Amino acid sequence: MSAIDDVQEEAKADMTPMIDCVFLMIIFFLCIEFKILEAKLPAYLPKDKGSQNTKVEPMEQLSVGIYVESEGKKVPFEDGTTVGDINPNNDRPYRYKVDNYRVKWVVGPKPLYNIQAVAAELKRIVADPASMVPDPKNPGTKKLMPVVIEPHPGVYYESVARTADACNDAGFEEINFGGGLGPTKKK
Amino acid sequence: MDMQKISQEDFDMDMTPMIDCVFLLMIFFVLVIDLSQKNLEDLILPRAEFQEPDDQPPDNRPILNVLQNGSVIFEGKVAYDAIKDGSNYAPIKQLLLDIRRNGELKGTLKIVTEDIGGKPTKLVDDPILIRADKWTEWNVIGEIMKQCSQPNIAFWKVELAMSEQDKETGEKNAKLKGDK
Repeated sequence: MSAIDDVQEEAKADMTPMIDCVFLMIIFFLCIEFKILEAKLPAYLPKDKGSQNTKVEPMEQLSVGIYVESEGKKVPFEDGTTVGDINPNNDRPYRYKVDNYRVKWVVGPKPLYNIQAVAAELKRIVADPASMVPDPKNPGTKKLMPVVIEPHPGVYYESVARTADACNDAGFEEINFGGGLGPTKKK
Repeated sequence: MDMQKISQEDFDMDMTPMIDCVFLLMIFFVLVIDLSQKNLEDLILPRAEFQEPDDQPPDNRPILNVLQNGSVIFEGKVAYDAIKDGSNYAPIKQLLLDIRRNGELKGTLKIVTEDIGGKPTKLVDDPILIRADKWTEWNVIGEIMKQCSQPNIAFWKVELAMSEQDKETGEKNAKLKGDK
């Protein structure tokens, strides 16, 4: 009698802990979804802009212009939403993405059409000894020339951030943002 | 004998489900609180290919969120509404001045005095993070940077937030994939 009892108990396994564990994992992975790791791009501003009354010598710098080639079209990011409408759940506009958006980079005199080419060109410039300019803070020494990213109207943050990221990777230490070119002209 | 067995089983209660539940709640709340305290809006950030991960964010770093239409959100409140304010960027300037003043009063922001162009200028020595959506037009972010560089605001350590994975395309950082 006792031996039979034992066998029967072994046969019907208790599912409770397994289900508990599965729920726990479901909740864990649901929540972790939000937390995509973020990275930071130091874009330190020059400390002395706007307050100087001394004469500044013009310095050689590398200009990276970003021009819009194709404006693209805004399409809803989530299905069933309309671009421009407000999401009642969080009072923020529904998000969109932009299809067929293309830009052209002009690195120095050279026009380029994709970010990989820009990254390669920037690396080439860094390796070129002609890119060293005299350092005004430490006379007699040389440093890598600063780079100025100049986004033109209609350029999205995506292109600027990727460009700055590439500049940083190439080894440029001084990255400035030109701009003040205003928003896109409304037609 | 049988009765005794039952009562004994009743007595030593099974703690496993309770502990499971407690763990479940703990994980849930830790993650939710972590999200809400950071004042992070749900944005699609541009993908960083080469940047350092932001794994130890300082507690005192102000975070400006910029929505796709250009509105600036600070601590869950709309500081600059792109539709209402249009090209009037004064609210952005006011916001930065307020952040600086509050930080100075509470002592959460470190202010240093440096000699710039012959004049002593008070600079904020702590970083500020701009979290903008990848489909935000650049001019709003340019405007924030311009305001940050004004001598009476002087947030010069501007950081731009990027993501290690693009939420839109699902593309991951090359370093994460291991094919640098």
